[in-house]
Amino acid sequence: MDSIERRRQRPLGLTDLFGEQAAAYAALERLLIEQFERWGYQRVVLPTIGYDETLSTQASPRLSEQLYRFFDRDGRALALRPDMTVPVARLVGTTLYDQPLPLRLYYSGKVFRYEQPQAGQRREFTQVGIELIGAATAAADAEVIGMAVEALRALGVSTFQLNLGQVDFLKGMLNGMNLSAEGLAALEQAINRRSRVELQRTLAALAITGDTAEAILALPSLCGDAEVIERARHLTGNPAAQAALDHVAQVYRLLALDGYAEHIILDLGEVRSMDYYTGITFHGYVSGLGFHVLSGGRYDRLIGHFGPQMPAVGFAMSIERSLLVAHSAPPAGPDLVLPACEHAQCRQLAALARSLGLRVESDLLGRTGAALAAAAEARGAARAILSCDGERCILADATGAREVSLAVLQEEVRTWSR
Amino acid sequence: MEPLTFALPKGRLQDEVLALLGEAGYALDADVGRRLVFEDRSGALRFIMAKPADVPTYVEYGAAALGVVGLDVLREGRWDVIEPLALGVGVCRLSLAGPASWRGRNLRLQPGLRVASKYPRLTHEFFQAQGISAEIIYLNGSVELAPAVGLADLLVDLVQSGRTLVENGLIELQTILPSEAVLIVNRAAHKMQFERIEAIVDRLAAAVTRREEAQA
Repeated sequence: MDSIERRRQRPLGLTDLFGEQAAAYAALERLLIEQFERWGYQRVVLPTIGYDETLSTQASPRLSEQLYRFFDRDGRALALRPDMTVPVARLVGTTLYDQPLPLRLYYSGKVFRYEQPQAGQRREFTQVGIELIGAATAAADAEVIGMAVEALRALGVSTFQLNLGQVDFLKGMLNGMNLSAEGLAALEQAINRRSRVELQRTLAALAITGDTAEAILALPSLCGDAEVIERARHLTGNPAAQAALDHVAQVYRLLALDGYAEHIILDLGEVRSMDYYTGITFHGYVSGLGFHVLSGGRYDRLIGHFGPQMPAVGFAMSIERSLLVAHSAPPAGPDLVLPACEHAQCRQLAALARSLGLRVESDLLGRTGAALAAAAEARGAARAILSCDGERCILADATGAREVSLAVLQEEVRTWSR
Repeated sequence: MEPLTFALPKGRLQDEVLALLGEAGYALDADVGRRLVFEDRSGALRFIMAKPADVPTYVEYGAAALGVVGLDVLREGRWDVIEPLALGVGVCRLSLAGPASWRGRNLRLQPGLRVASKYPRLTHEFFQAQGISAEIIYLNGSVELAPAVGLADLLVDLVQSGRTLVENGLIELQTILPSEAVLIVNRAAHKMQFERIEAIVDRLAAAVTRREEAQA
């Protein structure tokens, strides 16, 4: 491709939003932000670029491969942030660590990953989410999960659910077996694929038999409501695993108190992100979409890379993925279109209407009469002033066109609701 | 309830998979013919016929909740799906093959080794794992031709009976991946429709077990 041709292109995996989609994007972002603020969360705005060393902290090998890396003028390796949690952890660990706890922070920002564009994955996408820092309690987990359910509800889809896992349960079970790193990886892969044959073969290869083998084979079926926790209790005597179950049971009770239980599926066989998270994990799903729109969990060992160790829990929602299912209305047209004339009364009317919260567009192209009426209709305007002499004007709306004095309109405009 | 969409591979595996589904209780009308979309008689499943290599795409995106695909195709891509069940049909293997003169040669000591394959990623990983540098030549099919015309030294291809290799004067040198048809499921669908999908997996698993017992 020559450079003239390339000038007109977007790099692979990037997208433009405009019209209805851009309006839906802004509306969803606003809705989520308003929700976060009602729960007492405060905005953080962070740099898009960071040092590679910062942004690679605790990154999985997969995520590390996906970083956009480049060099500054002194040859230091920089990267575009691949998520928002690590930049927030850096801010907290280096700057906010001695502020009154818990810290409740939210963000909305672009993140960048060099992905194969497939299944709803873009190379630049928006994460809107929260981090709750300084509380390791079940109540903290329940607050964040409850907010995640509300974020899913905000999409306006009829069916959604949040799958709640607990990596400490799995770690407790698996650590008790004294497996080699390779053995553990093979087992995690088989559990992740939920492959019965591969799981059996791996257990045989690792010489895991009896109750322990039965327990691992039962992991994929640990999916459902509260009774899952009771089934899980019988699978292991490991104290860490039992304590992890106590914790998740308490979180679930709190969520049930708030009426969220119907949207929660306990999913204790989920092994993804086990290296990163240190307690509960969750993914949000909506009907009609083959991948999750939201994910989160507890990560108590991340902030310690930047400062004092502090417990933290949070989630992020992908706006672009969510827009694939969110119900959106076409962007509303203007409430009033008027000529950009030089009459003071006319300009005051526009200012008054805007101060009342109406959408007002000036025609900047010098059109009047039929030409302005056609332009207003094309914009979906509710009404238009087609011409004006500084005292009286022609106002057109759904009922037709009429002549009216601007003084009367100054009063009438208060009755035009949005 | 809406039927779940099930992507089936057209071609080699098609009849065997349909027979297995029938044994699992998902009966089809006899005259499915060349239709690309059809339901089973109970209305629980809607089948779509796709090119085998496209089945994981339908399933990962969630356009199909379930699908059947050869393990060779599944491992060649980086598909993020779950794979609860091996179906015991379409059993074959991905193998390294070449002219008989290559038997017993140490591939590590063959600089400039050229290997033709329809499976560039699995081939690359196979050689890399053994510290062998090989040039992978991607072909869409009839890979057996490559050594005969001097395009490549060796080839990596799917072997079922081995007859095609013999007819082209080639021998199998090493198995890279044992393969068979596997059931794959979209991750989100598996979460959202856990009980329905687990029931389908259980019925198919029972049918596979019955076949194994009948053969034993």
